[in-house]
This record gives sequence, C-alpha cells and structure tokens, in this order.
Amino acid sequence: MTKILTKHFDEPRLHELETYRRLGGYEALQKARAMAPAAVTAEVKKSNLRGLGGAGFPVGMKWETVPPEDKVPGPRYVVVNADESEPGCFKDRVLLTRAPHQLLEGLLIAAHAVGAKETFIFLRGEYQNQYDILEKAVQEADAAGWTKAASISLMRGAGAYISGLDTALLETMEGKKAWPRQPPPFPTVAGLMGKPTVVNNVETLSMLPFILREGGEVFAKIGSARNGGTVLFSVSGHVEKPGVYEVPMGSKLRDVLALAGGVRGGRRLKAVIPGGTSMPPLVEKDLDVALDFDAVRAAGTFLGAGGMIVLDESADAVAVAHNIERFLSHESCGQCTPCREGAAWLERILERLLRGGGVPEDLDNLKRVGENITGKVICALGDTVGVVARAWLGKFPDDFKAKIPRGNS
Amino acid sequence: MSAQAPVKSPFSPEQEKILTEWTTRYPYPNMGLVEALRSVQDWHRMISPETASRVAEIFHMPFSHVWGVATFFPAFTMKPVGKYRIGSCRGLSCWLAGSDAMEACLEKTLGVKARAVTPDGKFSWEPMECLGACEQAPALQVNDRLKGAATEKMIATLAEERHD
Amino acid sequence: MATPRHVTFQLNGRTVEAEEGRLVIDAAKDAGVEIPHYCYHPALGNPGNCRMCVVEVAGAPKPQVSCRLAVREGLDVRSDSPAAKRAQASALELHLVNHPLDCPVCDQSGECGLQDYYMTVGRYQSQAREDKEHKSKRVEAGPHVMLDQERCILCTRCTRFVDDVTKTHELGIFGRGHEERLDLAPDKVLDNAYSGNVVDLCPVGALTDRDFRYKVRVWYLDKTDSICPGCARGCSISVHTSTKRPWHNGGRRVARLKPRYNAAVNGHWICDEGRYSYKSLDENRLGKVLRLRPSREELSWEVLAAELAGRLRGGLAAGGPEGLAVAASGALSNEDWAAFKALFVDALKLPRLYFAADPDQVGEQDELLRRREKVPNLKAAEALGLRGGSFDALAADLAAGKIWGLWVIERDLDRVWGRRAAELLAKPELTVYQSPFKGALGDAYAYRLPATAYVEEEGHFTNFEGRVQAYRRALDPIGAARPDAAIFGLVAAALEGIRSREGAAA
Repeated sequence: MTKILTKHFDEPRLHELETYRRLGGYEALQKARAMAPAAVTAEVKKSNLRGLGGAGFPVGMKWETVPPEDKVPGPRYVVVNADESEPGCFKDRVLLTRAPHQLLEGLLIAAHAVGAKETFIFLRGEYQNQYDILEKAVQEADAAGWTKAASISLMRGAGAYISGLDTALLETMEGKKAWPRQPPPFPTVAGLMGKPTVVNNVETLSMLPFILREGGEVFAKIGSARNGGTVLFSVSGHVEKPGVYEVPMGSKLRDVLALAGGVRGGRRLKAVIPGGTSMPPLVEKDLDVALDFDAVRAAGTFLGAGGMIVLDESADAVAVAHNIERFLSHESCGQCTPCREGAAWLERILERLLRGGGVPEDLDNLKRVGENITGKVICALGDTVGVVARAWLGKFPDDFKAKIPRGNS
Repeated sequence: MSAQAPVKSPFSPEQEKILTEWTTRYPYPNMGLVEALRSVQDWHRMISPETASRVAEIFHMPFSHVWGVATFFPAFTMKPVGKYRIGSCRGLSCWLAGSDAMEACLEKTLGVKARAVTPDGKFSWEPMECLGACEQAPALQVNDRLKGAATEKMIATLAEERHD
Repeated sequence: MATPRHVTFQLNGRTVEAEEGRLVIDAAKDAGVEIPHYCYHPALGNPGNCRMCVVEVAGAPKPQVSCRLAVREGLDVRSDSPAAKRAQASALELHLVNHPLDCPVCDQSGECGLQDYYMTVGRYQSQAREDKEHKSKRVEAGPHVMLDQERCILCTRCTRFVDDVTKTHELGIFGRGHEERLDLAPDKVLDNAYSGNVVDLCPVGALTDRDFRYKVRVWYLDKTDSICPGCARGCSISVHTSTKRPWHNGGRRVARLKPRYNAAVNGHWICDEGRYSYKSLDENRLGKVLRLRPSREELSWEVLAAELAGRLRGGLAAGGPEGLAVAASGALSNEDWAAFKALFVDALKLPRLYFAADPDQVGEQDELLRRREKVPNLKAAEALGLRGGSFDALAADLAAGKIWGLWVIERDLDRVWGRRAAELLAKPELTVYQSPFKGALGDAYAYRLPATAYVEEEGHFTNFEGRVQAYRRALDPIGAARPDAAIFGLVAAALEGIRSREGAAA
C-alpha cells in the first residue's frame, strides 16, 4: 500500500537532518521556493489535501483566504497545531517523534505559499519528549539555513484540550485562557495578534513535501474523490495490534481494522469510533464504509483526526458515553453556558445511570439536553457535548435501558 | 506598573531573568505568558498569588488576567505537586485498558490520594485526560514525559527508583 | 467617515429599517422587540457567551446569536418563532440547572433576568434531578457589593466592567468549565470609585448591594427621575423610594439611587459617592421655621418673612449692603439661583456673595464621571453672571467686625472654616441659616429655615458643560421645609411690602 508519511519509518535515524536529507528531504522546499507562492497553493489545491486535524477543510482553499499583502499589510503567520489531545489520537506524536523534519519542511513550504516570515509550532505540554526532538530538529534546520526565509518558534500548551481548537489555540498563544473565538473573522484574516494566520495540523503539513515533490495530481490519485493522498489512523482499544497505520484515503474500515490485527481475542466487534471520541460510533454493518471525510460523513459520523478506537462486545455503551462526556465536561472551557452547564449535567445523568439510579425519563432527557446544546454553542467542542450521549444512546438503546432498574421512576 | 524587581521577589535573579526572557521570545510579550507560567510551575511546583502577581508585573498585565490563565490550565496548580508529578491517563482507550486499576495502584503504592503529595514531597499523582498514547494504554507519564503502558510492577519500580 | 447606510430587514415578519451593520439585538430593541440576553451590554460588548439572544435566520442552518449578527439588507430574522423561542428556553434551562433558585431571599427578585425570561420564554417543567453545584454564597466583594457565586451565570459583564471601564481588575472568572467561578482576584477588594455599578449591570442576583440587601422588595419601590447632586457632572439617576412601608427600610424614605441611562452625560454609570449619598437624606433634617436668638420660638413662614425682612431693612439702613454677606452652596437649583439673584442682587444689591466650591465642596476628579466640584450647580450661578468672593476674605471681614448680617444657604461653615467658624458666626448681629440639614452649626444662628432636599422638590441643574437638566419631586417635604427659591420669594415679598408701605407713608 502506498505510504507517504511513514514511508521511511524503518530508518532508525529518520529524525536527524542528515538521514532526512539523504532520503531527499528539503528538496521539495527548494522546489517550492523556486516557485511563485500562488503556484505552490495551486499545486496543493490540485492535490485535494484536506485538513487532517479533524475539520477536513481543503487546505489550498484555506490558504487562499489569507488576504494579499496589498490589502492587509504586515506579518502573516503559519501555526502548526501540534496540540494533539482528542482521545484516540496519537499519530501526531508519532510523526513528531519519527519525522520532525518532514513537518518542518512542510511548514516552511506553507510559509512560502502564504508569505509568512514567522512560524510557530504549538505543541501540547505533555509532549515533552517531542519538544526535545523538535527543538533539536529546528536547531539543525536553522544551522542548515532552511529557516532564513521563515523562522520557526516552539511553544507549549498547558494541558487544556480546548487549546487544540484553532481559535482557542491562538488565544492560548496570546497568553489568554483558551476561550474559542467566534468567527468571523476567521484566523486566515485575523488570527494570531490579529494578523492573518494559517493554522494547520502536523499531519496536514507533513504531506506537503510529497505533494511538492511528486505533484498534486499524483497525491490526489492516491486518495478518493476530493480526498487526496493518504491518512493516518491511530488505532487503539480492543485490537490485537494498536498503532499508527497509514492508508490511502477511502480505504475500507474493514481493512484498517485488519491492519491492526482485528478485534482482540477474536471477539465480536461492538463499535468503532472512527476519528476520536468526539465522533459518533460506527458498528459492524459499517465495516465497508470508505474512510474519507465525505463517506464517513455520509455514514453519520466524522473522520475527525483518525483516532480510531475499537470496542468489542464487552464494552458497555453507557460507560463509554460516560467516559467521553466526563472528558468533555472536564475540558469544557466554561465560556458559553450550554456547554459549561450541559456537559456537567449530561455527565451526572450518565453517572447516575451507571450507579443504578436511572429513571425512564433519563433517556429522553439525555436526548433533549443534547439537542439543546448542539448548534447553540460557540465552538465544536460544545457541539460534540450534545452529540456524544445521543449518538451512543441512539446506537445502543438496550445498554441504556438496562441501566434503569425496574420500579425506578 | 513597573517591571523593576520588587524589594522581595518570589524568584531568584536567574529565574527573574528567565521570566523576562519569555517576554522577548515571541513577536509580542504576552505570547510568552503560558510558557512563563510553565517555568513557575516547574520551579515552585505550584503557582501562588504571590508568584502570579510577580509574573503579572513582569508581563505588564493585570494580575486578575494572569490568575485567570493560571487557574484555567490544568498544568498549573494552586497547591503543590510532587517533584515527580505522575499523570495517569483516563482517556477512553486507557480506561478500557484498566486505568481505574492503575489509579488505585498509584494511590496504594504512593499512599496518597490524587493531587496530594507524599510526605517527602517526592510524588503526587493525578488522573489525566488523553495523553496521546492510546496504543500504550493505560498510559502513564512523569513530569510531561510519557513512560508507556502502566503496570503495577512499573509503578512500584517508579516509586522505588526515585526515592533517592 | 461615510454616512451609515440604512437598509431594511425582516424582523418577526415585519419590515424594519436600521443602519447597516447595527447589531440585530439593538435594531430589534429600536423596533420595540426585546430579545432576551444576559452577556450583551451596549457599553460592555457582546461576548456571545450566554446564548440567550438566539434567533432564527432564514437560510442559516442553526440559530444565530443576535448580539453578534449584523443587520444587512434583506436579512430575515425571527426572535419569536417556535424554533427561536425553543432555543432561548433551552439556553435558559441550562442557565438555571445549577442556579439555587433562592428567589425568596434574593434581593434581585422582581428585577431578575432569570425570572423575567422564565416568564416570557421559559415556562418549562424542570427535568433536573441532580443536586446543584455549591459555591460560596456570601463573598464580601467590597464595601458596597456582596457576591453570591451560586447565583452567578458567568456572563462576564462585571469583569468586563472592571477590566474595560474602571480598569481596576478586581474581579475575574477563575477556574474552568463547570468549576469556573466569579471571584475577587486574590487579595483584591472591589473598592473602586464606581463599584456599585456592577450591581446594576449584573442581570441576576449574584452581585447585590450591601446597603440595599434585605431592606425593601423592589416591587414596593416608587421610582422618580432625578439628577445626582453629588458633583458638577449631574448624572441622570432614578430615585427609588419606599414610603408605604416605613418599617422596611429603617424608616429611610430613599431606598437606593440607580443610574439612568444618559448617553450625553453619564452613559450607564454613576459613581459610588453619588450612589450612596442618599443614606444621609433623612438624617439631621430641619422641619421647623425657628428663631433661636434672642429667644427660641417656632414661627410660621409669614411671621418669619415679616420679622426677617424687618431686621434686614433695619440692618441695611444702619450698616449698609456691604455689611450683609450671603454664603451659598452650588447645590441650589436654577430656579433657586434665579430667586437668589432677584433678592440679593437685583433688590438688595449686595456686593458680598460667597459660593465658590472651594474649600469644602471639592474632591476627586477622574476621567470617567467624577468632577472636582462636589455640588451640582455652580454653572447656573455663573450663567446668571453672579460672582462670588473668597471665604478667606469673608472670614477676615467677619473677624474685623465689618459684617452685621450673614445669611448662609445650604452650606456648613464648619466645613469651610473649621473650628474658627463658631467664633466667626458669633460676630454679626443677624445670622440666618437655611438648609435641609442641621449641619454642625445649626444651633448657632439667630434664624433657622428648613429647605427641601432635591428629592422633595423639582427643578433644574446646569451641569459643568452647561447642560440644563430637570429633576423631579420624589418625596414630600419634611415639616415646613420649602424650596430655597420659595423662601427667597417670601422674604423678597416681605421686603417689597415694607418698601411700599414706607413709600406710601412718605
């Protein structure tokens, strides 16, 4: 199977500049820098590269919304979102550990395309090992002169999941609470310190060296319609071989599951969360769903950031929903009321169900409260709060009903 | 407000220097705030009103702003943590892999509840949200460094090795 | 700047005209439609965190917050559709899920955004079974403000006020998610000069007024438009009085003062000095017309006027107008000043008038509202061409025995001259004191005349910018008290009577 990002992962010293260069590293950057910025963007548009941090927004289109210098003079920035913290996702950690220069090269290509002279990598604070690796890689890139045209600075977060949302990330970078902004304006128009800012995920940017080297069309052909190239899945949970797997966009769920060795102990599959715990689950009948942004969407959930968690028949949907809502409640930033109050409320209803204190009205209430949150909040985390409990209840009503002791009312 | 060191700073001269450096590391001084608070948390194992207040002076920010940021982010604590701050992941994959048992094991082995510090000041532990290591479930970290999948033996070794 | 373009848009099926780009929530208000909201405040911005002002917008996949939605041509907005009302009700339900619902003991009851919107868009049956989250219910935020964290809906109006308006930063939202709370920053006290405003702008009962706490239910209050007499700014205020149940407020008739929006003068705010000035309004009051010297006797206004006019006439004949001094205060209304001028300048032609705010009626000035002159209406005296002398010179002349008569209006000379005042007051043969309040030297004069306080009369003040503003009568006068203008008029008429009788006799 075609590999792009993990192609050279059997090279033990891939994280060092020397090895990366020997394998053709930074040639794409040289090529890009010889091109007009608009031509780089055009190549990326041709590639059908989508934002792999979860939103799936076409990358070239996002770059094009950065206003031209004559309209908005002054600096523009590129920020790498390396605040990977969606439960189930760990592919960025692996990319940062194994192929930091691939990211740096991609970042510098993006900087050239949008005219940024300063770039930042915002890394979750818990990735201290990766911080050290990146620090060293940036030093190597500096020494080799790659960052003369655009500098790279590192910054660490402080443990808030919401910092991974682009506008909350920018707030964090500005030394504020990670309270999401409410676009418009979008970051590409007014982002970091009000300057035009492109925020892209680690995996997204890491794709750019291949696209520039091989051409956008080659990349596009690897994937499915409107979903170019490959995608990394972080597979965990009840599988034999958890890990990161790179597959072409549009591969079948069944195939990714097979790469991970299938359900552990040959047990029966109960559910697969395709993109991280914020996404509604798929079930056995969905095994032939093609894994790209659009097909997964059509199947009623989201590809997200490819954080695939597999659950076998032993899993209890109520306990799973509780774990996720508890997480979201803990990570709710507290800015807007429906999410702040609603997440805690849902968590407590689910907790009561698990304790055996459920009443029949709880099921309607989970649904109703969820509906009252989703679509009425500031950010995507809030939308998710209202979705998760409803999704698990919708797919596994029997698990929920079983939590309501007879006679409770 | 002045950035001149007060008569009595809660920081050493070297630490004052580092904090001031965070105001110049990025294009705008305020961009260094979260990193500066990380430094304070590292040095004092907590952030107090006194230290946050000094950071506010250095950054020319209202104290309430700095205190708001400090109390917002989970990495910052208003009570001390141990020299070794152990994080036990309770994300879905780690929970499926038995994170509850690892939390119980940490409590038993270290003899303290979550977020409390061992009497010698060496250890504290806390449940954490997804550490981004779901393939190594149930994941454990010490001072922001991933240690891999936790086992009772690993926790026992960890507690022993660092009791120097 | 380009002139704003006016466009038309649809609001609840009506065609409404508004400035392009105006926030829908404001444009709706202009058109008489109130869209529920907590966090939005026209002077504090639109963070959009309460999600109460959601409206349905044709073509939009989900409800939009009208505090962040700009009016544009052809926009089709519904704040009253079933979907919009459902969205508003659901936001309210989430505001209330952890609210203590302690309305029976909450001072905000009757003027609470949670109660009001429950009645207009809520009306749901609560489905909350979980226990409420507990937080601190009694935080003494400052000398004037009490904080109840459980009632707080975290709308951030108050934190934006202390961050953006006073820039004093005492309050903050600390913590995160459902553990977040409004609190004082450690070691801070909410004691800025405008702290009371957070009580007004808090849409719920989280920030209450310690002076008003547990005193009167708001529905028992009568409200009268007035002007704060606390300084030369002349902020628009509303006087809230409690007269029907005197046992509710320790007998004090004024229960509180609230700012009244006035874009040109004070915006939405007033200062604490002005706000809490009401507390002394019923204290140390004068209600009787008294002669104290040589013999103490309560007089009718008619007898007083005749007697005083006679003594003034005698004094003027013997000692001349330069021996009669009048010390007044900038607290007089435009009407009072006019009568003052008619009596003392036009009729009596007195050269000795004293009313400068210095030294006793000045205080702090700032960039927000407070003016240095702590009296409301010196500007009116200036506008009438009145000129005042220096109190130092007056003191010297009194000490030198050059003054035979001294008439003091609404001014406590003890605060002008300190301990010397009593000694100086003993010098003239005729002393008149006219004021709502007894003051430190109220017993030291020959005559004591009760004047009404501003809440007991109507009139106008001219503020430091020359803006003439009306204040209305909120309360009945105490005892025989009359407005200063009326007192001047009585004496003027009595003097005129004497003059015409003398003229007739001659």
